[in-house]
Amino acid sequence: MTRGIFTPSRGGWALIRSTWLSWMQYRSFFFILAFGWMIPPLIYLLVWSTAAGEGSISGMTRGAFVAYYLILILVNQITYAQTNWTVGDLIRYGQINKVLLRPIPPLYDALASEFAGKVVYLVFVVPILVILAFVLKLELDLTLLNALAFIPALIFAWALRFFWGYWLALLAFWATRADALLALQDSLVFLLAGQVAPIALLPGALKTLAVILPFRYMVAFPVEVITGQLTRPEMLTGFAIQVGWMAAAVILYALLWRYGLKRYSAVGG
Amino acid sequence: MENTIIRVKELTKTYRVPVRAEGLGASLKSLFKPTYSEVSAVQAISFEIPQGEMVGLIGPNGAGKTTTLKMLAGLLHPTSGQVSVAGYEPWQRQPQYLRRISMVMGNKSQMLWDIPPLDSFRVLGEIYSVPKKEFERNLEELVQLLEMKELLTKPVRNLSLGERMKCELTASLLHRPSVLFLDEPTLGLDVSMQLRLRRFLADYNRSSGTTVILTSHYMADVMALCPRVILIHHGKILHDGELGTLARRMMPFKILRITLKQESMADNELPELPDGVEVLEAESNNLNLRVPRDEAAAITAKLLETLNVADLTIEDPSIEAVIDQVYTDGGQ
Repeated sequence: MTRGIFTPSRGGWALIRSTWLSWMQYRSFFFILAFGWMIPPLIYLLVWSTAAGEGSISGMTRGAFVAYYLILILVNQITYAQTNWTVGDLIRYGQINKVLLRPIPPLYDALASEFAGKVVYLVFVVPILVILAFVLKLELDLTLLNALAFIPALIFAWALRFFWGYWLALLAFWATRADALLALQDSLVFLLAGQVAPIALLPGALKTLAVILPFRYMVAFPVEVITGQLTRPEMLTGFAIQVGWMAAAVILYALLWRYGLKRYSAVGG
Repeated sequence: MENTIIRVKELTKTYRVPVRAEGLGASLKSLFKPTYSEVSAVQAISFEIPQGEMVGLIGPNGAGKTTTLKMLAGLLHPTSGQVSVAGYEPWQRQPQYLRRISMVMGNKSQMLWDIPPLDSFRVLGEIYSVPKKEFERNLEELVQLLEMKELLTKPVRNLSLGERMKCELTASLLHRPSVLFLDEPTLGLDVSMQLRLRRFLADYNRSSGTTVILTSHYMADVMALCPRVILIHHGKILHDGELGTLARRMMPFKILRITLKQESMADNELPELPDGVEVLEAESNNLNLRVPRDEAAAITAKLLETLNVADLTIEDPSIEAVIDQVYTDGGQ
């Protein structure tokens, strides 16, 4: 059933539109959620920019920390796949039946919430970030190459985070509380994806771990790309690892969906 | 059968129900070393349904009705046996197949909770790729039949249960499916709403030629709508045919309701009754008796002679009584 997932479809767009319409009913709820997601990076922004003071830490000045964290907040909002949290419930409560009865791939429902959600959040988050950028005096030395490289890095980051969370959520076909693993993923993202500190500032072993594991590539990597923290070889290695993990996540998603569905239709949910 | 749209042959479903403890640890353990117990839900059932027929699937809770329906709709893989619906094997879930069927589950909604039904309908129209003009025509027809114009623009969460079921039916029929599966469509609805939905289903079935399989616990639904019923119990078909035949087969009795003239029951004692008569109820001057179907006429004649009868009626046992007997002792 994975055939034709990425082909454009009337049904897919209609789903996005309707999900968006229904989410707009809860604008304020989503604004509060988005606000909650902004707080931890904001705190670390203040901590690090205060620590940098008039000097710099590992080459990062106060203004550079502001740029790093404000862009990180944006990237975090764009890549956060909150849909993953609902997939497990859908499976557990048998609501997935309604999705399975439709003549379009079930992934569309998740993608619809993804796109619809992003629009609602960004309407709220972008203006705040712009104001903060002026107030806190962001310093960003933007090159064309970095700006261009940021776009694929961001898209891959979203896809990686989305499919990574999705395959974890699909474990609900086998285990009742698979979403505990999603909470674990969130914690690892918090630690190893540049939120507590930019990866460059992590101590040796932790830094190596962050570079190898997929979490950095869900949030920190695009931020490092656009803020010019990476050398050309580092950037290329980064892309290679990011795409590798993304491919792994998509394959795991496809496999788990296939076997999960087989099991679901054998057991009946 | 000619123009048969649904063929079911030796369909069997045995659930392997995972046995697992709560908690993440146990869940993870069950990922690697799952334990199962086997439950036989449907056992080698076979039937055929011609295009345009409306069939009632009845049976007690847990008899295998919903399991059967889910296999026909492609949500479940059978353990063995064959099914062909409109030429497709349902559980392949081919988009072309899914466009030809629809399933309404009384306890599950396909409407989006926070937006008006009209928006949900449009999305479904797109999902099923219904051409614009056809969509508008179908919608108008359904809205008229179900008298629900004023519901179209209210958020679904503000609708009553009955109004929501109207929306569910519209949603499921917008793409004009050839086969409609209805699982408890009247669950929890009040009597007049049940009546209206029944009338709608009968009209729609007649005008569109859609094949309908319906499960319901309300015998009135089945009696009003389905000339043919398939009775499932413990995963097996006990009866496939008219409801009336089922009643005669399962309950070879008639019910006699007798009202006696006042004075004759003054001593409050039961009169002498012929052999084979069973007293169901005796209160003041009313008697309810159960008599063997074959002897009903003879016994009635005898009673008219011996008793001082003011009024007498002969009835078939209520279908509820028949069903109750089948459900409790499996039609033995």
